[in-house]
Amino acid sequence: MIRFGMLQFRIQAITAAVTLAAFAVLLAATGPHLASTYAADGLDICHGSSCLSPATYFTASLARSPYDVVFLLSTGIILLAPAVIGLFWGAPLIARELETGTAALAWNQSVTRTRWLAVKLAIGGLTAMAVTEALSLMQTWWAVPISQAVADGSGAGVAQSRFSQLNFATHGITPLGYAAFAFALGVTAGALIRRTVPAMAVTLAIFAALQVAMPLWVRPNLAPPDHTVIPVTALGGAGPSQTGPGGDTFSLYALTIPGQPGAWILSSGPVNTAGQATSTTPVACASVGTGPGGGPQGNGFLPGQGPAAFVGCLASHGIREAITYQPASRYWRFQLTETAIYLALALALAGYCFRRLRRLS
Amino acid sequence: MNAVIAASGLGKQYRHAWALRDCTLAIPEGHVVGLVGPNGAGKTTLLRLATGMLMPTRGTITVLGERPAAGPAQLARVGFVAQDTAVYARMTVADHLRLGAWLNPGWDDDLARQRIGQLALDPKQRAGSLSGGQRAQLALTLAMAKRPELLILDEPVASLDPLARREFLQGLMETVAEQRLSVVLSSHLVADLERVCDYVVVLVASRVRVAGEVSDLLASHHRLSGPRRAPGSLPAGQEVITESHTDKQTSLLVRTDGPVLDPAWAVKPVSLEDLVLAYMRRAGDDAPARRQHLGVAS
Repeated sequence: MIRFGMLQFRIQAITAAVTLAAFAVLLAATGPHLASTYAADGLDICHGSSCLSPATYFTASLARSPYDVVFLLSTGIILLAPAVIGLFWGAPLIARELETGTAALAWNQSVTRTRWLAVKLAIGGLTAMAVTEALSLMQTWWAVPISQAVADGSGAGVAQSRFSQLNFATHGITPLGYAAFAFALGVTAGALIRRTVPAMAVTLAIFAALQVAMPLWVRPNLAPPDHTVIPVTALGGAGPSQTGPGGDTFSLYALTIPGQPGAWILSSGPVNTAGQATSTTPVACASVGTGPGGGPQGNGFLPGQGPAAFVGCLASHGIREAITYQPASRYWRFQLTETAIYLALALALAGYCFRRLRRLS
Repeated sequence: MNAVIAASGLGKQYRHAWALRDCTLAIPEGHVVGLVGPNGAGKTTLLRLATGMLMPTRGTITVLGERPAAGPAQLARVGFVAQDTAVYARMTVADHLRLGAWLNPGWDDDLARQRIGQLALDPKQRAGSLSGGQRAQLALTLAMAKRPELLILDEPVASLDPLARREFLQGLMETVAEQRLSVVLSSHLVADLERVCDYVVVLVASRVRVAGEVSDLLASHHRLSGPRRAPGSLPAGQEVITESHTDKQTSLLVRTDGPVLDPAWAVKPVSLEDLVLAYMRRAGDDAPARRQHLGVAS
């Protein structure tokens, strides 16, 4: 049955191999040059805080280079791979056999349906996981200079932390879980709907919905988040903005947390001395740092020290920043948990397929 | 009698209707059995239940003494060619033979190659480009070369032209003659069955109307014609299957084990087709809403 499973998997295997090869060529052609740019910017010899400036220059230069495009393209391919696998490998696995009537041929050889499905799921599922993870590893290798620049303290454009939604879903081990789940979802949809094209549509809809719901509502809660309250003057690059008529309200978001590099900030906002969320500008600060025709009329801060002066005024009036976050140290715990969730769902779907298959004809 | 297929109170319900209901039958081994009946009688459902392609809603069915598709060993003992004789369109003829060799421990590669050679099929040809007759032959080759004890064929020739149909049945008969093999073959074309079957089961609305060896059935059924009279006046042991009357004439199809001695009757033998039609028509009286006509092979 394994040889037969392989024989039937030929086309898919060739497609996967060609995709992997093209992906490898794309990254191998551009990766060394990205690394040399990184070195040329002085990032390979800097230490500690001296890296921030070249890292910022490096990440800013990415936005004007083709690496930006290569990064987004390769990320897109890794994100789409599980969906494509679910659609084109998973959904037809049972549905096509039923549609074309070849199920009668397949299931009347001297091999039980259970074994037939076990072999097909194993070949398809393991290949799906291997292919997706291979794509992910190749891109992770390619993006090492970018990840390093992020670790050095810069974050701009495509250079985002490991917890950013694009990076979390394309690096680490999550692609394994997505691939296994999407494949099992396709197979199950095919077994239930019994027609390939509708099964593909349902697979796509469910997988896409889950991939949106996961980072929005599930992932932030995989572990209870940490809370901290820090001085607004410690927010670094984060700029305040004045909102509302006359600049009487303001907002101030944290982009990074001092001492917690790479933390995943779930929410942040200013609080008053009583610890309550606030957005009301203290009266004394309303015109601090704003220029003529600016500030109170809502046109913004003076260039240069304007924002810092405003933030300093906020701090002197007891306003601090409350931040809810997941520390960077939880990265692998989150990767493991999310991957385990998807793998468990994949196994549950596969188990259902075995039960369902006995009643199919 | 060892039954190749034994069903008891067998039923299969789909969402809206029963495809087969309360079917009880026993098909003996060592025959080429024709399963005949009108469309909707439940033939396909019965055969799919017998191969384990369907699970019964009610009742039981055993095939060669075991539950259908109970395991690899049971699957190896039964060959099946489904109604649409589906094969993998993208795989070549040779790939199909490899499939058979890989998936069946009892695979007879010589038989398979010999049949493919006789049929003049190109092993490199994709199955999707085969004609309907060639496809059916390929499916039959796969089913035969696994060396089953029982071969189940569901309307295998229904979609074939007369020549392909004859060749298919010819090939079937040659293999049956060589192997010790029971065959159950469904069809609504009695002429096909007449050529190959030595046992016939007439199934109408899930019920077996008559079953037996063809030679016995033909010997025990007669068409009687004579002056008009009531069928009740026949001697005991003569069962009327169908009757038709004109003003002066009565024509009966009767079943009897003894000779018909009444000189008033002109006694004629019946053909298998007449016999099958008679049982199906009699059944039709029970359920007059649907009168089915048999197609006749050209």
